Amino acid sequence: MTATARRKPLLSRVPADFVRAVLKGHSSLGLAFAAIIYLVCLTGSIAVFVHEFQRWESAGAPRLTTVSPEALQRALEAAIARVGGGVEHAYINLPTPDLPQARISVEKDHVQHGWIFDAAGNLVAPGDAPFSEFLTRLHINLHIPGSWGTFIVGLTGVALLSSLISGLLAHPRIFRDAFHLRLGGSRRLQEADLHNRIGIWALPFHVIVSLTGALLGLTTIIVGVLGMALFQGDTAKVYALFIPQAPKEDPRPAPIIDLRPMFPVVDRVAPGGLTDLILLEHPAEMGGAAMFNVQREDTHLSNYDAYAFDRTGKLYHRARSSENNLGERILGSIGKLHFGWFGGGAVKIAYALLGLGLTYLAAGGVTIWLARRRDKRNPAPGLERLWAATVWSQPVALATTTLTTAVALGGISKQALIMIWAVVTLIVLFSALRVEATALSLWLKRAAGVVLIATALIHMLRFAPADPVIWSVDISLFACGGVLLWLTRRAVLRPMPAVSQ
Amino acid sequence: MITLAASFLMLAGGALGAWALRRAWRSPPENGAGYRALGWAAIIATLVWPAFLLGDTRGPLIALAMVSVAALVVVATGATVRAARAGKSVRAGRVSDSLAPEPLDRPTTRWRSILRWLLAGPIGMIAAMAVGVCYAVWVPGEPQTRLLIGGLIVPVVWGGAMAWTLADNRIIRATAVLVGTALSGFGLAILKGFA
Repeated sequence: MTATARRKPLLSRVPADFVRAVLKGHSSLGLAFAAIIYLVCLTGSIAVFVHEFQRWESAGAPRLTTVSPEALQRALEAAIARVGGGVEHAYINLPTPDLPQARISVEKDHVQHGWIFDAAGNLVAPGDAPFSEFLTRLHINLHIPGSWGTFIVGLTGVALLSSLISGLLAHPRIFRDAFHLRLGGSRRLQEADLHNRIGIWALPFHVIVSLTGALLGLTTIIVGVLGMALFQGDTAKVYALFIPQAPKEDPRPAPIIDLRPMFPVVDRVAPGGLTDLILLEHPAEMGGAAMFNVQREDTHLSNYDAYAFDRTGKLYHRARSSENNLGERILGSIGKLHFGWFGGGAVKIAYALLGLGLTYLAAGGVTIWLARRRDKRNPAPGLERLWAATVWSQPVALATTTLTTAVALGGISKQALIMIWAVVTLIVLFSALRVEATALSLWLKRAAGVVLIATALIHMLRFAPADPVIWSVDISLFACGGVLLWLTRRAVLRPMPAVSQ
Repeated sequence: MITLAASFLMLAGGALGAWALRRAWRSPPENGAGYRALGWAAIIATLVWPAFLLGDTRGPLIALAMVSVAALVVVATGATVRAARAGKSVRAGRVSDSLAPEPLDRPTTRWRSILRWLLAGPIGMIAAMAVGVCYAVWVPGEPQTRLLIGGLIVPVVWGGAMAWTLADNRIIRATAVLVGTALSGFGLAILKGFA
C-alpha cells in the first residue's frame, strides 16, 4: 500500500462496486416506500404540535391551571349521567402547561364520548378535537382499521432505518462533502446535495424517530412473538410486566367511584407532582379502580409515577419513576422522544424542522431517481407527474382539512375529515393523468398556500382568541401559506423537454 | 425557561462547531487542524454540558436536536448558487458528469427479485425477532429491560438485514444467513425459556 493510499480516509477506501450495490438497494427501498415515508414524516412533523392544535380546535374553551377534586368529581358524575351509565372506562385529562384544559371522556359500548369541563366541573363544550385526532391517527395507523395500519407504519420505520444504514454506506465522501450545497445547477446535483446534507447532519434525529417509530408500530407483533416464544402464547403476561394489574373484576353496580379522597394520598406520596391523567376502570361497579399518572418535577426523560387505587381509596399499586429499571425508563421515554415532547417549545420547533427535513429527504430521493433517468435520456414523465401529485397533494389535502375544521368548528367529525382528505388526495392523483408535473406542483403549492392563509384568517376572525398559543398556531398557518406562495413567485410554466429541462 | 435559554446556547455551540469544521474542511489539510479540533470540541462540549443542567439523558438528547438544526443552518449559509446548466452533459454525450456513484445495474430474474424482497421483508423480520427474543432470554437483567432492549433490537436488525439483502449480489448467502439466524435464535430461546 502506498503512502497516499494510507492517508486516504477510511470511507474513501470502500470498494466502488460495494458502494454501487448498496446504492442499488438504497434506491430500490426508497422507491418502494417513498410515498408512505413521505406521508408519515409530513404528518409526524405537524403532529409534534398536536397539543397546540387541540387548543386551536377548542378556542372558546376555558383555560385552567388547576382543577379542584370536587370539580373533577362533579365532571365525572355529569359525564356518566350524560351517557346514561354503563361506562366501562373513563379518562380525565387535567390541565398542564402544554394543554391548559380539563377534559373527560367516557367509554360505553366501545364508543368514546368526550367533554371539556370548567373550574366548577360543568361540562361546557364537546371534548372532541377531530383535526388533531385525524392528524395523529393518520400518522400512527394511516386510518387503516385493526393493527394493520400500525404495522405498516412500523414497517415504514424499519424501511427508514434501513435506508439510513444503506445511505451511510453508499456515501464514501461523507466527511469531504459535509458542507457542499450546490443550488441552481443541475437538478440532480442540487437534490443530491440537499438529500445528503440533510441526511448526514440530522442523522441522530433520523435514527431516533425511525427507531422509536418502528418499535411503537411493531409493538403488537413483537409482543405477540415474545408471548408466543416465551409465555406459551399469553401476551397478557408480557403486558403485565409493564402495566399495573386491575383489581379483581366485580361487576356489581355501585355508586360512582369517589376520587376526592385519593388526591391527598397522591399529594403525600408524590409531593410536588402534577397529576395530568386519571384512568378509571369500571367507575360505577364494585370492581372499580382509578390510576393517577403523576408528572414529577425532575430532569429525567421518563418522569411519570403511577398510583392505582381501588374504589375504597386504598392505594394498591405504586410505580415511582425514580425507582424504574432501565426497561421501564426506556418505555416511558419512547413516546416523548418520538414526538419531541421533552424540552418545551424549542425542541418542538427543532423536531418539526428536522421532521420536515426528513420529509424532504423522502421526496428528494425519488426526485433524484427521476432526474437520473432524465439525464440518461430515459425520462419517465408519467412517474414525474404521479410523484409531483403525490408530494403536493398532501399539503393541499391537509390544508383543506384545517380549513374545514376552522369553518365548521365543533360541527365536523373525524370521519368527515378523513373523507375530505381522501377525496382531495384522489382528485389530485387523478389530475396527474392530464396535468404536467411542473404545472401540477406550481398550482398545488399555490392552492395549499391560499387555503392555509384562508384558514388562519377565518380562525382568527371567528374566534379572536385570547390564548397566545392559538394565535401562534394561526400565525404559523399563515406563515406556512406565505412560504408556499413565495416558493412559486418566479415560477414560469414551461413544458418539460423530452430529455432534459 | 432554563431549557429555552439552554437551547439557544446549544444552538450557538452547534453553529460554532459546524462553522469551525467547515473552515477546517475548506482549508488545505496542513492548515485545518486547529479549526478541526475546535469544531469537534465545540460539538462534543455542546452534547455534554446539557447533561449536568437538564438531565443526564434529556440534556444530550435536546442538544442532539439543536446541534443538527444549527449545523444545517451553517450548511445553508455556505450554499453556492450556480447558473442553470442542466442538460449540458447530456448534449455533450456524457450521461453523468456528477461525482456521485451510480447504482449497480445488476442482471436479475423475477424469482431472484421475489426472493430478495422476501428476505428483506418477512424472512428478515423473523430473523430479527429471533435475535430479539434470544437476547431477551439469554442476557441477564430485569425482565422489563431485557424485553425492551430485545424489542429495540428487532427494528435495528431487521433494518440492517433489509439494507444488506437488497444490496448483496449473492442472494443464496443472504438466504442462508437469515434462515440460520432465525432457526438458531428461536432454537436457543426455546432451549432456555424466559425466567
